[in-house]
Amino acid sequence: MTGYLVFVTTSTAILALFSLGLNLQWGFTGLVNFGHVGFMILGAYATVLLSLQGVPLVLATGAGVLLGVLLALVMGLTTLRLREDYLAIVTLGIAETLRLVVLNEQWLTQGSFGVQGFALPFAGEDYKLLLMWLCLGVLGVVFWGLERLVRSPWGRVLKAIREDEEVVKALGKNVFWYKLQALMLGGGIAALSGAFFAWQETSIYPEDFQPQQTFDAWTVVILGGGGKNLGTVLGAVIFWAYTSLTRFVLPNLVPLDDARLGALRIMIIGLLIMVLIRWRPQGILGKKGELTLGK
Amino acid sequence: MVSEPLLNAVKVTKSFGALRAVDQVNLQVYPGSITSVIGPNGAGKTTLFNLLCNFISPDQGEVFLAGEPIHRLPPHRIARRGMVRTFQVARVLSRLTVLDNMRLGAQGQTGENFWCTWYQGRAISRQERQLRDQAMAILESVGLAAMADTYAGALSGGQRKLLEIARALMSEPKLLLLDEPAAGVNPRLIEQICEYITALNRQGLTFLIIEHNMDLIMSLSDQVWVLAEGRNLVEGTPAQVQTNHQVLEAYLGC
Repeated sequence: MTGYLVFVTTSTAILALFSLGLNLQWGFTGLVNFGHVGFMILGAYATVLLSLQGVPLVLATGAGVLLGVLLALVMGLTTLRLREDYLAIVTLGIAETLRLVVLNEQWLTQGSFGVQGFALPFAGEDYKLLLMWLCLGVLGVVFWGLERLVRSPWGRVLKAIREDEEVVKALGKNVFWYKLQALMLGGGIAALSGAFFAWQETSIYPEDFQPQQTFDAWTVVILGGGGKNLGTVLGAVIFWAYTSLTRFVLPNLVPLDDARLGALRIMIIGLLIMVLIRWRPQGILGKKGELTLGK
Repeated sequence: MVSEPLLNAVKVTKSFGALRAVDQVNLQVYPGSITSVIGPNGAGKTTLFNLLCNFISPDQGEVFLAGEPIHRLPPHRIARRGMVRTFQVARVLSRLTVLDNMRLGAQGQTGENFWCTWYQGRAISRQERQLRDQAMAILESVGLAAMADTYAGALSGGQRKLLEIARALMSEPKLLLLDEPAAGVNPRLIEQICEYITALNRQGLTFLIIEHNMDLIMSLSDQVWVLAEGRNLVEGTPAQVQTNHQVLEAYLGC
């Protein structure tokens, strides 16, 4: 039982970290990123492949984060000048492309055989417990940093861009550059979460990085209310509470086999999002007042 | 007026497909003046505004601000040089407070730099307090001070117009471009906006205004430029324009 709690807590922290990156991009800046998992792929693979080459773990992780930031830079430079729907399509495409590259470039990634036996941040019996604390610590630091940023004048510009970027442009701010910064920072955070994901799993496979990961993060951000960092963390907690509860409870209630139960759980999440968007689009922590405002 | 124009547009042209929305339009705005652009619907006034600020880039022509070419600068750089625009339909940042809308207008904020937010905390809080005072003084003058902490999206149409002008003032512009400041505003508020513009003009701010409200144009403007079908029709003082045969024809069809 303790083992499972540690697993759930670690998973929640990783999902929260991953989703905080998306919240910065979408919740604060209004960028529709449907390829968030792409950053995670880069972060995870760069970290483990470099550490397999003997690069110290801290440096390998740093390189993974840097690659995530660079990916965001490339994505942003090519799409941010276009209308925002293009960003959604391009990000989705890039994430899938990355997954397929990782699947097919076997000389580098061993394809569907996955990567195992890479260096981990801790050793010994308490590995999972220590990793959980590390995840929570990093989540705390990132959360603190993001809160500081979004409350600063820098964050004010991001929120203003979310509201109406033409106005921000007319007031002398370089909108493109701010969007790029949000995309890069969010991408770097997602890449970092990828490293933790790899350490938790202790082996990674291309199929770990399906678009579903991105949409889980969207669920989390929408649940908590876009533009609220605390809401995103809460969303991740609810998401994992739901996942673990249904894993144990549903089999006793519904006579279906495992695969169908899995599908049913995702269906319920989809339904939940629809209900939420219809009746509480501001999310759990969002203020109702914000939504009744005329545009 | 012997001085150099503050804003000088030379043969600015823009086509949308086969439509020449703005066709070789010239425009001069002299420092310290209130200059207006009028014209029937579809004359290309708002397009001209967008071209001047480079929200839309011109096909041809040049625009100079204080003698320097600006038609190749991105919009935010033009704003930084002191030419700030408002929009025809007032655009406020709904889910930001009125005060934050105002603060956003200020230029050269240390805290808007990503790196500075980490190690210049004290300088930033000091700046934020200064901006708050500055914003409150301006809000006071437009009668929005009591609304400082409400979401801008909760303001009425007229209040939004005022906020938009007030926010533009936070950037301490040299030239303010107002796109139909009186559109959709009640007569009482139009009067207030007029008085406000006059007061600011006396303090040295130059205005370029697009407007349909003839009374407002005639009472405020020093110089009026008339556009029709994307071209310059005439220009002159309000009195000259008012009696001009071509203008009457374009407006009234007689």
